[in-house]
Amino acid sequence: MSDRPFRYSSRNWFGKASAGLILGFVIAIALSGVWAWAGPGGLMASSIKTQLNMWMVPPIWALILSLCFFFRSGVRAWAWLGLAAVICAGALYVAKFLVGGLT
Amino acid sequence: MIRADVVKMYKDVHTWVGILSGLALFIAFYAGAITMFEGPLKQWASPPSDLPAPVPLERSAELVEKTIAAHPEAAGGYTLHIETDAANPARMSWLVWPEGRSRGAPNETWFSALDANGELVVAQDGSTPVAQFIDVLHQQVGLPLDHELAMLIMGAVSLLYFVALVSGVIVFLPGVAKDLFALRIGRNLKRMWLDVHNVLGVFSLPFHIIMALTALVFAFHDQIYDLQNEITYDGQIAQMFEAGEPVHHVDIDPARDFLELPDLLARLDAQVPQFSIQQIQYMVRPGNEAEVMARGIDDRYGHRGPDFGMAAINPYTGDIMSRTYLPGQQPASSAVLTSFFALHFGNFGGVPVRWGYFFLGLAGAFLFYSGNLLWIESRRKKARKSSPDPVQPLKTKVLGALTVGISLGCIAGISLTLSAAKFLPGRVQDLELWHSLIYYGVFIAAIGWAFLRGTARSAVELQWAAAVATLSIPLVSVLSVLVPGLGWTHPGQSWLVEITAVAGAGLLFFTAHRTRRRIRQAPEDSIWWAGPARSSAVTESAHHVAAE
Repeated sequence: MSDRPFRYSSRNWFGKASAGLILGFVIAIALSGVWAWAGPGGLMASSIKTQLNMWMVPPIWALILSLCFFFRSGVRAWAWLGLAAVICAGALYVAKFLVGGLT
Repeated sequence: MIRADVVKMYKDVHTWVGILSGLALFIAFYAGAITMFEGPLKQWASPPSDLPAPVPLERSAELVEKTIAAHPEAAGGYTLHIETDAANPARMSWLVWPEGRSRGAPNETWFSALDANGELVVAQDGSTPVAQFIDVLHQQVGLPLDHELAMLIMGAVSLLYFVALVSGVIVFLPGVAKDLFALRIGRNLKRMWLDVHNVLGVFSLPFHIIMALTALVFAFHDQIYDLQNEITYDGQIAQMFEAGEPVHHVDIDPARDFLELPDLLARLDAQVPQFSIQQIQYMVRPGNEAEVMARGIDDRYGHRGPDFGMAAINPYTGDIMSRTYLPGQQPASSAVLTSFFALHFGNFGGVPVRWGYFFLGLAGAFLFYSGNLLWIESRRKKARKSSPDPVQPLKTKVLGALTVGISLGCIAGISLTLSAAKFLPGRVQDLELWHSLIYYGVFIAAIGWAFLRGTARSAVELQWAAAVATLSIPLVSVLSVLVPGLGWTHPGQSWLVEITAVAGAGLLFFTAHRTRRRIRQAPEDSIWWAGPARSSAVTESAHHVAAE
């Protein structure tokens, strides 16, 4: 291990930004799905809820993309956001299974 | 406290996303500010109609019957205008789709009226589509591309815009206490521009966050819905859109007539007295169902449409069937959804809020203009560290010219295409094409001029040009009064369009004057350097060689 403290730089932006852009979108879609199935009223709650499910996606996506530069490297960004994406996708699968019975 | 290296990193991020999105955002914000008054501009750009005066409300049923008898295509969908004005000069209108009905396909609006003998008179809408043209510029960040493609680019720009906002806040935070209320007007012009950029950015941040996120939704909603339907909803989205919705159509009963318009309005007034109804839209489906919508406004609330809310009504009884999009009457979740649209469109609170959004939009446009020029000037400081006598590198020259050309070209182009609205009708066939040609002609010429003359000189000259172009708006109106056969003015019109244009032109003349003063004093490595006094091309290039 180096003695020098870690310093952030914009040089490794591509790895971080691509992780934020792609995995951020995956996480946003998955989270909106968990809300759609397990949130109040379930899937068939109302037309309005269906629209709000869609409205949830861009803020989550944009926020992850904006803050992904706080990861120390592109590899870390892909690893952590990848893990988060797997967890969120799993949560969606579970929600679908519990609420919808995966018909 | 935020670490210095984080701030530095986000400063780089802010710079790059700003440069990539800033110029598109300038157009979106400038055109968007003008779109706040799309309704009044539509009226301003509508030539006086040759149609007889709108029939009284009591005779609407007769008008509908005669219109459908003569024009069966109107039976499937028509609109009765409660409020008639220059843009809607008749009681009844309907759409004709020459190439078949589909989203984005060309359509024509037709109006019908009755003459003194009760004979049907119809006319195609002759107003110029200039207000709609500016709205499309706003939606497509100025790109004359296929709508679907332009929306994808607009979405990418919105995403960069949101990242620019977050990164800008992170960069600004360490100095927040020191810089928040600082506006150092004085000799250090770059410092002053940075202060203005920061003050505008921080104090209009909520507005910008709303715009970035709503624009992102407007750009990508179709793709997100499709993907959600595929992945999450197992193809059930169509049912989900109807779930829990009150029935908003009626079965056609051949034995009964729709309620007469005065009775219908009286019924609606009894149910929602504060909802000021502009028009009633009748959609009659082949399956013998009718869906009827009352469109109107209630200034106390936000609206789902750009400048209207809606209620689904029963045409036989006048009962309100769905309040999902009825301002002030919505269920809570629906009001939340409507608030997103209302916050984007600025359609809550009537005219004062519209003016507020107009100025916030102009301030936003200035934020992007100033951001680009600030970056260019800060390159100078960096360059000076490495070389004692730096000159502008090519990339700052290119970005400077693009910034000035695109921004001022957009202003001049919109102004000229607006004033052409009173000149084109009756003189050319395809009004939309001509508005487009005028705008893009001016826009491209301005960019060319900026490259030809360099940032500094063209900034002054193009501000003059934009000011003159904007002055042409009141000029055309005044000429319309003086010269018979040229343009028109509507009786009792407010002249606010003209007054606003004069104020805008005045501001452009003033800033052109200040820019001229600045470029005389600018050092040679500055983007504002316009060459040595009384320069000729020869001495200028000699100077450059000497400097290198």
